[in-house]
Amino acid sequence: MSALGWGRRAAGLGRALWPAGRPRVLAEEEAFGGVGGHRRSSSASPCEQDRRKDWGHAELLEVLQARVRQLQAEGVSEVTVKRVVVARAPEASSAQSPGKARAGAEGAAPKLSGRWAQKLDKEQRLMQKRKQRLEGRLQKRERTLAWQRQLRVEPRLLSGRLANQLQRWEQGAARSPWEEQLARLLQEAPQRLSGDAAKASAVRGSDVRLEGQRQRLLSFFECCLLTGHLPLAHHVLVTHHSRSRQQRLLTLAMYNMVMRGWAREGSFKELVYVFFMVKDAGLAPDLLSYAAVLQCMGRLDQDASTVRRCLKQMAQDGLQLQGLFTAVPLGEGERAELLRAVRKAEPTFSPPPPPPPTPQLNTSPLLREVYAKGCPVSYPRLHLPLKKLQDLFQQQLRVELATTVTVQSVEKAQPPTEEVLHARKTLADLRATWETALYQELQETKASEARAAREGRPSLFPYLCLLSEREFVGLLLQTLQALPAQGESLLFLAHELGLRVFNRHIVQRKQLSKQVQVLEQHYIKYLHLLASDTQVAERCLPRQWWEALGMPEAPHEQPWPVSVLVQLGKQLAEVLVQAVQMPGSLAAPRGPGSLIPVLYHVYSFRSFRQIGILKPHPAFTQLLEAAAERTLTFESTEVPMLCPPLPWTSPHSGAFLLSPTKMMRSVEGTQQHQLLLERCPPAQLHGALDALTQLGNCAWRVNGRVLDLVLELFTDKGCPRLGVPAPPSEAPRPPQGRQTPKSGLLPDLSPADKAEMRRELARRLKVAREMQSLRADALCRLSLAQHLRHRVFWLPHNMDFRGRTYPCPPHFNHLGSDLARALLEFAQGRPLGPHGLDWLKIHLVNLTGLKKRESLQARRDFADQLMEDILDSADQPMTGRRWWMEADEPWQALACCMEIARATRAPDPAAYISHFPVHQDGSCNGLQHYAALGRDSVGAASVNLLPSDLPQDVYSGVAAQVEVFRRQDAEQGVHVAQVLEGFISRKVVKQTVMTVVYGVTRYGGRLQIEKRLRELHNFPQEFLWEASHYLVRQVFNSLQEMFSGTRSIQRWLTESARLISHTGSAVEWVTPLGIPVIQPYHRDSKVMIKGGIQSLTFSSSGDTSQKPNTLKQKNGFPPNFIHSLDSSHMMLTALHCYRKGLTFVSVHDCFWTHAADVAVMNQVCREQFVRLHSQPILHDLSRFLVKRFCSDSRVSKSVWASRLLDTLLSVPKTGAFDLEQVKRSTYFFS
Amino acid sequence: MWVPVAGLPPLLALSALTRGGRFCILRFGAARRKDVLAGNRRGLSDIHPQLLSNVGFGKSSSRVYRCRSEIKRYITSPRLAETLVQILQGKGDASQLILECNPGPGILTQALLESGAKVIALESDKTFIPQLESLGKNLGGKLEVVYCDFFKLDPRSRGIVTPPVMTSETLFQNLGIEALSWSKGSPFKVIGILPTKSERNTLWKIFHDLYSCTSIYKYGRIELNLFITEKECQKLLANPRTPNLYQALSVLCQIACGIKVLNKLPWSSFETYTTNGQLEKQKHRELVEQNMCLIQLTPHRDLFTGNLTPFNYDVFFHMLRQCFMKRNAKLVDHLHSLSPIDALHILKQIKKNKNVKVIDMYPQDFHCLFETIECSEEDTCKWLYDDFMEDVIL
Repeated sequence: MSALGWGRRAAGLGRALWPAGRPRVLAEEEAFGGVGGHRRSSSASPCEQDRRKDWGHAELLEVLQARVRQLQAEGVSEVTVKRVVVARAPEASSAQSPGKARAGAEGAAPKLSGRWAQKLDKEQRLMQKRKQRLEGRLQKRERTLAWQRQLRVEPRLLSGRLANQLQRWEQGAARSPWEEQLARLLQEAPQRLSGDAAKASAVRGSDVRLEGQRQRLLSFFECCLLTGHLPLAHHVLVTHHSRSRQQRLLTLAMYNMVMRGWAREGSFKELVYVFFMVKDAGLAPDLLSYAAVLQCMGRLDQDASTVRRCLKQMAQDGLQLQGLFTAVPLGEGERAELLRAVRKAEPTFSPPPPPPPTPQLNTSPLLREVYAKGCPVSYPRLHLPLKKLQDLFQQQLRVELATTVTVQSVEKAQPPTEEVLHARKTLADLRATWETALYQELQETKASEARAAREGRPSLFPYLCLLSEREFVGLLLQTLQALPAQGESLLFLAHELGLRVFNRHIVQRKQLSKQVQVLEQHYIKYLHLLASDTQVAERCLPRQWWEALGMPEAPHEQPWPVSVLVQLGKQLAEVLVQAVQMPGSLAAPRGPGSLIPVLYHVYSFRSFRQIGILKPHPAFTQLLEAAAERTLTFESTEVPMLCPPLPWTSPHSGAFLLSPTKMMRSVEGTQQHQLLLERCPPAQLHGALDALTQLGNCAWRVNGRVLDLVLELFTDKGCPRLGVPAPPSEAPRPPQGRQTPKSGLLPDLSPADKAEMRRELARRLKVAREMQSLRADALCRLSLAQHLRHRVFWLPHNMDFRGRTYPCPPHFNHLGSDLARALLEFAQGRPLGPHGLDWLKIHLVNLTGLKKRESLQARRDFADQLMEDILDSADQPMTGRRWWMEADEPWQALACCMEIARATRAPDPAAYISHFPVHQDGSCNGLQHYAALGRDSVGAASVNLLPSDLPQDVYSGVAAQVEVFRRQDAEQGVHVAQVLEGFISRKVVKQTVMTVVYGVTRYGGRLQIEKRLRELHNFPQEFLWEASHYLVRQVFNSLQEMFSGTRSIQRWLTESARLISHTGSAVEWVTPLGIPVIQPYHRDSKVMIKGGIQSLTFSSSGDTSQKPNTLKQKNGFPPNFIHSLDSSHMMLTALHCYRKGLTFVSVHDCFWTHAADVAVMNQVCREQFVRLHSQPILHDLSRFLVKRFCSDSRVSKSVWASRLLDTLLSVPKTGAFDLEQVKRSTYFFS
Repeated sequence: MWVPVAGLPPLLALSALTRGGRFCILRFGAARRKDVLAGNRRGLSDIHPQLLSNVGFGKSSSRVYRCRSEIKRYITSPRLAETLVQILQGKGDASQLILECNPGPGILTQALLESGAKVIALESDKTFIPQLESLGKNLGGKLEVVYCDFFKLDPRSRGIVTPPVMTSETLFQNLGIEALSWSKGSPFKVIGILPTKSERNTLWKIFHDLYSCTSIYKYGRIELNLFITEKECQKLLANPRTPNLYQALSVLCQIACGIKVLNKLPWSSFETYTTNGQLEKQKHRELVEQNMCLIQLTPHRDLFTGNLTPFNYDVFFHMLRQCFMKRNAKLVDHLHSLSPIDALHILKQIKKNKNVKVIDMYPQDFHCLFETIECSEEDTCKWLYDDFMEDVIL
């Protein structure tokens, strides 16, 4: 035994003696792990310090050190022997006796004699050979199997009693079976009082950092389980458990997770170990823990008595047996095993039937009509037959399985000159070498992460096992290719990489778990509802149909915490930086032939922050340019879908076939919206789910003629005036590149001249860079348009936290600029009908921006007068009179001209099939909602809620009111009012009035007005400040005068939000459609990822555990609330239009449909607006807020609470406006 | 409200002002002074003016004044002013042009004028302007008073400039000052006290202007005489022998200017005006215990004769900022993310060991390093720095 002790001490000493920075030979490290298999922890640092102090003993130490190394060498041999044995006996891994491993050390450990130096020398020579021989053999094996063998299995318990118990059982393992222990263990009371736990949880909430570490740890365990590294997870759990500081990080969920893993494998002993730890940590096992235990028993087919005891204990803990089957998410197999175990004890037990398939109906009064049964409905169908749709589905599936889409660029093709071909070849060669280099680097990283995990740290190892090296390499090369010449912030890059890994992993899992086949079957059945040539028994909404198909809800993947994403991404970025090199000769032809890195980590300083940037070597950028490869690569989620999106059925399932998409987009890493959505009853969300599904189901196609014209301009010189960015060749060239400042070094120029040169250069570079980024943006959009030219495609939608909807694909959608919108039209056509042509004409005049204050009739007549110009534009867009170019929205106007031309030339215009979307815009939609909320008569009239012959213009109204005030003041002798005479126009006040709804403050308003005044040439500029200050006051006063109700509502909302925020919560409400909203403005908490090339710090502001940011909560509430109303209005219109069989899409407050259906849409839109505002919206809000924020007894004691209650209860009074009149207002939306 | 003051004989009025705290002449503030100053340094044993008996214009505090959080210091002791005049004019001619920043009550202005200098007073505080103007009138037109904040000349944001923020172009055009070429020298000298709160930012701005030959430095090699806190002064003078104080500003300053420390005074030699009248003792105790140094910064005539010019100074700035971000790291590590040129080769050229650390490099070494890289033969790319990453200082 003494020798054994010596062996261990030697190990400890060995560690202590190594200088801190010395790289350890892998084999040595392994050997020690083996010898000290049960060593709990080693602390090397104190000894190291001693060493430095004690120079006197240097010689002695040296000798000892040598001795230790020698012992290690022996260790190597012993362990190898052992390992061979171990490899043969699978059971041995955990049951090996510690004595065996140490026996080897015993034999070689000599007594320390006085003549150690000589002895040592002799031994050393002998050992040398053995060591060399062994090490060579070992290193090969090391990587493959070694580490799993040394993972810790037995826990070290902190409670003495439990530890004794454990020890006894371990020794007596042969006699009493493990299950026996478990049963007894179950009865053990938790070691800590529950009060402690409560206190701990209180502390937990406050400590964000701790919370972050927990998330990371949990995610680590989960990932280990996924990748089949359960022993590693167990090892890390045991290591954490054995250190009291780290034990704080462990939660029951983590223990449960590992237990479940063992249960799946049927490893009862390890499961019991974990159970010991649960008890030791003072946690009370919950349903999940019991489910794991029982499942394991089921798998091992254990006898009834054990199971019975377990169930009994469960009952004593107050847990329901039924709960195991209802509250615990289980896989099919797990469920069966669990049932098998339970049936042993209670043969008659049958699990509760799954809850009936959601018969719940949405109860919102606003949606009653939408979900009413029995009335005739005419839901639209697509124009495509089933066969075609099935084919499209297969295409989309292929795209998503490939995860990326490669698209031909629309940049003009260069003839492949010698130079180009050479560059392409160089690039191809380089890529081949990079692939191998990346592969190696990745493996090394993986190995080092594995080592870190073995030391008990939750490293990135399991994440790196999720995808194959080949896939990682592909991902990294793709990133390298897409890196812009000026570099990309490391944080952004890391996050992006992390996300991509996550998405690929999800897609892969779905593929592996056979979900793809199930999806395919269901989707084809789903298509029967949509296809043009199929019959269904009962018409219903896509979601209802999908739910009726009974697609098993796939377990929803929790996204990884942002810190994990960033950490993983950073690691991958580092791999990229380290591995990718190119010959130096590329950069400087004369230079040495050595390799130089392609990527550089540089810093940029913004004020006093520094930002790390990854930047490619300019030579690499040049090479890419020279090679002129005409392809662009997109993630599959960045491209519109090729088949109808999956209907939204829950907050996290819908849209893309495989790639995960959230129904509510939010800042990455914020959980609060998701939690809120998951908590609310499914039926409550039906409105939003169906509206989003419906918006996504609109089929689109590219307007080929417009695209041709745009491409012609694009490949030529561009045309910035029309929104077609010019190619870089048109940019002002810097006289000489930044990098060759020869001109800047001319000796005969004065410093001042050089300074001027520098400024000029900076100006040009700035222009060039802006042009470049615009160009790149347009290139993406146009290339996608070209890619989709002859196809039908769909834009899946999701929404932001207020319910405003957005298409998911970012580059090419109908939300973009004039150009982007003009490229799109409905794939499905409709005959124009009797009034369609008129609507086309009116739409065209609307797009020109002329005749805004004329009646519809006048607008149509205007179009008739211009018919010659219109036809000319359509026929000779680039060579004719080019009337369309003068329009506000030229490209859309041009597209409209073409449509009108085709329609008028058709034999029967009413039968002409039109694909063209016609828009109807709300006039100052925010103010419309405010005016309706406050029932302001004057305000309502000025934003067209009242029927009138001519459209009213609120901006002119406000300008007129301001002018009235100004005249009064001027008469009173206010100087600035006199100066402003003749300068107050619609234009000056427009922007401020428009944004006042969205919470612009006096400060911002003043800046806006100042800008407008500055544009007026004859305005005396010295009065800018004073005049803008005066005007913004008058604009606010005028609004107050016209929209008295609005201002008081705004103030009420602001004040409520302020008080709610002061009580320590973020403002929450529910939209009239039932979508829960919470404002994601919290005080920032900094998260830091250390290590590697750079420490990354990012702030997360969306977490509910953070205190709210009062200023943002307060200023954000009124506009966000109004947005939640306008989104409700849009969704209601969408749902009702769908019921009437219309094609409907929206850009927030701009509604699109076919020309033939404009009248129907207009009617629906007005009816729904009235319906929406007939609800007691403000009182509902007040009631909700009181219930949510004033019923908590904890909070109500504070000073703020009583004031909050008072404020909330004093809902602003409303005016006398009669809402019904909206239905007859022509210009409400026009 | 300033009428009574202006009506008094200048000296009396000024002396009264110096003890303003007692009877709150200024609405926003009370010039409260500390009764400190036992041992003064450098022979300025008594910089207290004699306290006069209360002059009877009392609490004339109806002036509306916008609040400022900034503390401003002013020279209020005639003795100190005398000393400063002697230092400034040393051997030079008496009739030079001096730009005084924020003269406040005008004690130094008066002393300067009396010594025969021409003075332009740039005052950023409207309160003092009538007073200064009347001072000018009494002293025969050698004083020009401009409502202007010297330390905020030529803001980088390029928004509207309303006084006291101005562009140097308008300022000097109005004053009729012509630019001199860099080699010729300087059309005027500047004296002032650096704003306490933004001392470092102001210094950064000054060096940006200097290296880029913009703002005041467009008009020649302007000599600055500035009071700065002793700590900051030490930092400007630091080098590898005082590694704890050594930083990018030290290098910039020592490369660009000749630095002379002209004087050192305790903080309490100045009047301090704050917003609400009361100087909060505790809050400012640190400041009070600090010394102020008067330093003279004269730009080198040969600053731009090498490869470092206003054309590429920003790269030099970037290099220094990055190096001093991790000051204990090896230089070679920084070089990897500064320039794609072989780092070891560069080190060999500047004759430095490959283990040399940032804080072991003298300012001249940095200069040499920069020039070496700038002259290197590699054509395509010398720096990884890019205008995209243009440093934003203020």
